[in-house]
Amino acid sequence: MIDEKLVPLLMALADDELVLGYRDSEWTGIAPLLEEDVALSSMAQDEIGHARMFYEMVSGILDKSPDSIALGREPSGFHHCRLVERPRGDWAYSMARQFLYDAADGVRLEMLTRSTHKPLALGVAKVIREEKYHRMHGESWIGKLAHGTDESHRRLEAALLQLWPDLPGFFEPVEGEAELVKAGVLPEPFSALLPRWWQVVEPVLARHGLHGPNLGLNAFSDHSGYGGREGRHSEDFVKLWNEMTLVYGVDPEAVW
Amino acid sequence: MEDQAQIDEFKARIDAGGKVEVGDWMPEDYRTRAIRFIEMHGNSELMGALPERDWILRAPSLRRKLALTAKIQDEVGHGQLLYRVAEDLGKPREAMLEDLIAGRTKFHNVFHYPTRTWADVAIIGWLVDAAAIVSQTALRSSSYAPYARTMTRICWEEAFHLKQGEDAVLTLMAGTERQKEMCQEALNRWWGPLMHMHGPNTPAERDGDLAWKIKTKCNYDLRQEFLATYIPKIREIGLEVPDPNMRHDQATGSWLYTEPDWEELKTVVRGAGPASQERLGFRRFNYEETRWVRDAVLGSASVAA
Repeated sequence: MIDEKLVPLLMALADDELVLGYRDSEWTGIAPLLEEDVALSSMAQDEIGHARMFYEMVSGILDKSPDSIALGREPSGFHHCRLVERPRGDWAYSMARQFLYDAADGVRLEMLTRSTHKPLALGVAKVIREEKYHRMHGESWIGKLAHGTDESHRRLEAALLQLWPDLPGFFEPVEGEAELVKAGVLPEPFSALLPRWWQVVEPVLARHGLHGPNLGLNAFSDHSGYGGREGRHSEDFVKLWNEMTLVYGVDPEAVW
Repeated sequence: MEDQAQIDEFKARIDAGGKVEVGDWMPEDYRTRAIRFIEMHGNSELMGALPERDWILRAPSLRRKLALTAKIQDEVGHGQLLYRVAEDLGKPREAMLEDLIAGRTKFHNVFHYPTRTWADVAIIGWLVDAAAIVSQTALRSSSYAPYARTMTRICWEEAFHLKQGEDAVLTLMAGTERQKEMCQEALNRWWGPLMHMHGPNTPAERDGDLAWKIKTKCNYDLRQEFLATYIPKIREIGLEVPDPNMRHDQATGSWLYTEPDWEELKTVVRGAGPASQERLGFRRFNYEETRWVRDAVLGSASVAA
């Protein structure tokens, strides 16, 4: 398999982590509790670190530096799902997104450990260890907010409903997916992960009384939240992109 | 009514280099001063996160973004540690945060100024941290032992921040003409606040914190120490110190400089600095916006953040 064919997959993995890492770091300095401030900064660093690992793999293929890959693209050159580019919202939105994303990322990473592309399979093993803590963190907040006050319960439900239409976009196929599956780089198509994701998420939501006709696999409409993997993003991302490339864009050739 | 003999005995113990632990008897003046001093230090760590956090999103490389996020994480962690020390002396975290956002307590002058460019972040990371380390290193011998111990840990982490800041400055100074200009402009902007940072030259005998050895070096000496180490370094890397009177006086061994505008310092720390109200407003807004989270996890009776 030609390495170039791996690029859209690696970019999707890297960009998801990069953009979510940016969103998490928006809580740095202003989180509801000092302990959580420290925790979110730490998770943001993990995510940027994971993104860097995937960019380094791309860097080896395209012969460009990881920074120029990360920061030197137009918004339409990014392949993250729309779920991660939404603004951080309130604490309920951020925590619910973290939980749903980490559950999805967990099943994705598990699949990638079976990839025939060895550097990828080995790389994700390390990521899995860190992501496990993120999922525990998100899951504990689902419980805290569900059983906290009426307001926290109401906000959590509203967050989940708001997030729901974006979720299928996580499982949107990447460019050249059929070929990647054929070569075993992707052991399965992304759409096969959706039921496994729900097996992780459903018991947690049920345990905390968070269910209903609008929260479930049946509530997903076809291709809802799609576009991200093809580089079609919302205004939210364009705003974020303007910020994240502000200094880099002063002189992309310079060393910062 | 405090017993004068007991106070005298306490003072004698401090003067002889004795340390105070949280459960020890202490004069009210000592307790009040220790709380105020440590609380302001904690406030400064938390407020110091704000000017830098604006640049996390804008950091120009993955490495710088990671380093800056880690640095701010440390600072918030320091704020948390310092608040715990002050809490043990009798002021709850909630009260400290409420006083901070209401503008009733103070934080360091440097965090009342805006950050204009990436070079500001570099200069803060190098020189503001360097100036802070000079003070904090001296505080490792504070008479209040829990504070002294906390400072030992904080200084260890600050040393990494300083390296990162220095590296960011060196990178700019080895870069393009535009980058060098940015760096010099940032130094010019931060010079005044840097010279204010250790405070006015209050005579030692009129400094109550010094008398109780809550702090151990006078403001003048701290500033001299900072200048002695950093003026040569600043010049060596090709930056110009924006004070034509800055020079080392061979006769006295001390650094001579243009006397800073101490009125400006007073105005700034009272909350009338160029970015004071914006920063406090931002913290107040976020504190209110997230109150429901604290109510949910700590119970509505407690609003401690």
